[in-house]
Amino acid sequence: MVSALLYLQYHTFRNRLVSRFKRLKQPKYLIGAIVGALYFYWYFFRYLFRGYANGRQPGANLAFPPEQLLLFELSGALVLFVIVLLAWIIPHERAALTFTEAEVAFLFPAPVTRRTLIHFKLLRSQLRILFSVLLLTLFSSRFGGNAWIHALGWWLILSTLNLHFLGSAFARTLLLDRGISNRLRRFLVLGLAGVMVAGVWIWARQTVPELNSARITDLGSALDYLQRVLTAGPALYLLFPFRLVVRPFLAPDAMTFLGALIPALLLFLLHYVWVIYSDVAFEEASVEASQKLAVRIAAVRAGNWQGAKKNQKAKRPWFSLAASGPSATAFLWKNLIGVGQVFSPRLWIALIVIVMVLCFSLGRGGLNQNLSVVVEIVIAIALSYSLLLGPQILRLDFRHDLPLADVLKTFPLRGWQIALGEILAPVAVLAVFQWFLLVIEAGLLLYLPGLERTLLLAIAFGAVFMLPVLDVLLLLIPNAAVLLFPSWIQTGKDSPRGVEATGQRLIFALGQLLALVVALLPAAGVFAVIFFLLNFTVGPAAAIMPASLAGAVVLAVEAGFGVMVLGKLFERFDVTEEPGG
Amino acid sequence: MVQVEGLTKLYGEFTAVSELAFSLQPGEVLGLVGPNGAGKTTTLRCLAGIIPPTRGTVQVGGHDVVRDAIAAKKQLAFFTDEPRLFDYLTVWQHLNFIARIYQVADYERIGRELLTELEIADKRDALPGELSRGMKQKLAIACGLLHSPRVIYFDEPLTGLDPLGIRRMKDSILKRAREGAAIIISSHLLHLVEEICSRILILKNGRKIADGTLDEITRKFSEQPGDANLEEIFFRATSETSAGASPPPLPH
Repeated sequence: MVSALLYLQYHTFRNRLVSRFKRLKQPKYLIGAIVGALYFYWYFFRYLFRGYANGRQPGANLAFPPEQLLLFELSGALVLFVIVLLAWIIPHERAALTFTEAEVAFLFPAPVTRRTLIHFKLLRSQLRILFSVLLLTLFSSRFGGNAWIHALGWWLILSTLNLHFLGSAFARTLLLDRGISNRLRRFLVLGLAGVMVAGVWIWARQTVPELNSARITDLGSALDYLQRVLTAGPALYLLFPFRLVVRPFLAPDAMTFLGALIPALLLFLLHYVWVIYSDVAFEEASVEASQKLAVRIAAVRAGNWQGAKKNQKAKRPWFSLAASGPSATAFLWKNLIGVGQVFSPRLWIALIVIVMVLCFSLGRGGLNQNLSVVVEIVIAIALSYSLLLGPQILRLDFRHDLPLADVLKTFPLRGWQIALGEILAPVAVLAVFQWFLLVIEAGLLLYLPGLERTLLLAIAFGAVFMLPVLDVLLLLIPNAAVLLFPSWIQTGKDSPRGVEATGQRLIFALGQLLALVVALLPAAGVFAVIFFLLNFTVGPAAAIMPASLAGAVVLAVEAGFGVMVLGKLFERFDVTEEPGG
Repeated sequence: MVQVEGLTKLYGEFTAVSELAFSLQPGEVLGLVGPNGAGKTTTLRCLAGIIPPTRGTVQVGGHDVVRDAIAAKKQLAFFTDEPRLFDYLTVWQHLNFIARIYQVADYERIGRELLTELEIADKRDALPGELSRGMKQKLAIACGLLHSPRVIYFDEPLTGLDPLGIRRMKDSILKRAREGAAIIISSHLLHLVEEICSRILILKNGRKIADGTLDEITRKFSEQPGDANLEEIFFRATSETSAGASPPPLPH
């Protein structure tokens, strides 16, 4: 029976790989694969062959002093402890091995024992683990050390954790069957953890000099305190099993690794025996979990991350929609509902209250100028990221609705009306977010003496007009791309994955950057001319405002033209083309 | 009401629909039948203006679906085999959205009546994810009928409906036809086509091989009038060989 499951696993993997190679016949995938491969080589693999930027050679041992290694080991063990603790506290469902719907349909009615199904599940999870090990090893090897030790170390950590998650799920189900509710279990686990932490705390208070607020401000002292607490006393022993799991990964050489490997493997085998001999009925919960998983995968593949959430709830519209009026507003209304509870009015009100309190306290408290400057910098960074990442995160436009393109095409609307409507919601959300940041920035500027306050306020004022139009342009680019190259962008059906997809995304990102630069050039030119002309007569602060307005007008004209082009692209878009490629 | 002339749709070198021509009057129900890959869905998509024909013209209510798309689309509704809904809009929000798109001033009254007629009035605040397949189908139909279309296309309208839903759907189609709508139904369910369609158009490999009333088609493909039902006629008409071919035998 196991051989049949191995056959299934092997051929699933092989066929997936073959189909990936087959599609390399298409130039778009081939080019993507080359660019993706170059990216992975440049970012990860070259370090394995050519040494490190800091002169360290591949495979070179990391020379950490023993105390530092112990601290690393204990820190890793502490992280594992927290993960394991959460695995016993947070979940509330019965044990459910997640299979695909096809696996449920074929394997559950088949004469396959429960233990075989667990083996199959473990076997399949190894594929995921091995892929994670590869990525983690490529990443951790950049900092030096032996790649093989890192790979085996990561494998032991992830595999043991995987078994523990499974075993704890079975144990939780057994407890439920024996009348121990989730609440009681959480109480007991938290109580036990509390006793352990209290033990460490009492010991630390008696043995190690007390940690006071003065020491917290100094990172070095805080780390030193942590090292003292963790490397002696009860913490050292309480974290012992977790240290066993981490130790092989941190081994500086092969001999130390082999020494650390035996206890770690023993722990791994103990977990394996625990999982295999747990006789817990998981089939019913698994069927339900598989169905939920299928729904969530379908939702994610349709670009609907909200839909992928559990218990999706109906959301109120942000405004009432009359039966007459511009049709683009209907799309704004619809997509704002889809933006979901994350961007609910309640959140905006909460943010505004927080900011008002912050500004008020800064003003009353005699002003902490350093903090104000930090907040200003953070806001500037947030504004930049909103332009860079906002259009990628907010995808409730053509990227989300393309699977329903046939429905949209039956609407008695011009292409530009649909195009305008589709991008309005992300533009609105981004613009409100950016205006919100600008208001905070302007508020903080009032508290900062010694700066060119008027000039900075003028820049903020100009940004109020420029940013929304810039958002429109930034959103037009990916929306046009999804209509022109539906196979390259994640839309409703299967999104492309793999090295070639990474390459495609890189090419697309470069193209997007180029298109943005081209779009910005005329506006930047107009801005520069007006600014320099007025600068000599009225000064920089007064010159910025009309220059920004003129720049915004140029951008708006470009955006209007872009919407018309996007509309034409949608009208010409062939719904029979496979977005998933 | 619907006038199709020389409709041809090519995908590269593959001909999905070839030189299709027919017309449909108000109140007529046309059954579009044919084997898998005959071009039924492509034809309906061209008729609805979803995909442009490679050659030929389609007029809906006197408006060309390509050149005068807005006026043509205002008069039609297209129901796909799989209900196509916005997964984050509730039932009523769907109607609200569609009302704005088609500018239906009295949508609240019409919407309430439609939901009652389709027996999903109690699901007004439910999301599509909370509806059964049949209910989703009903919601799609309510959205499509909200603007009182004069031309309606159905692609496999009975998929996923329970027996009562099937009965109601048939009644609803016939009611719209009696009210003057021109209706095209694409379906593999030949008994449905036989029962409610006043005309039948058989497609094979994108070409029209028969068009007429059931009697006319029967006469064309039967040796003697009245010796066969639509299923029999379908097999004869779509078989590679000439008339006389029979369906595969049933298992014992």
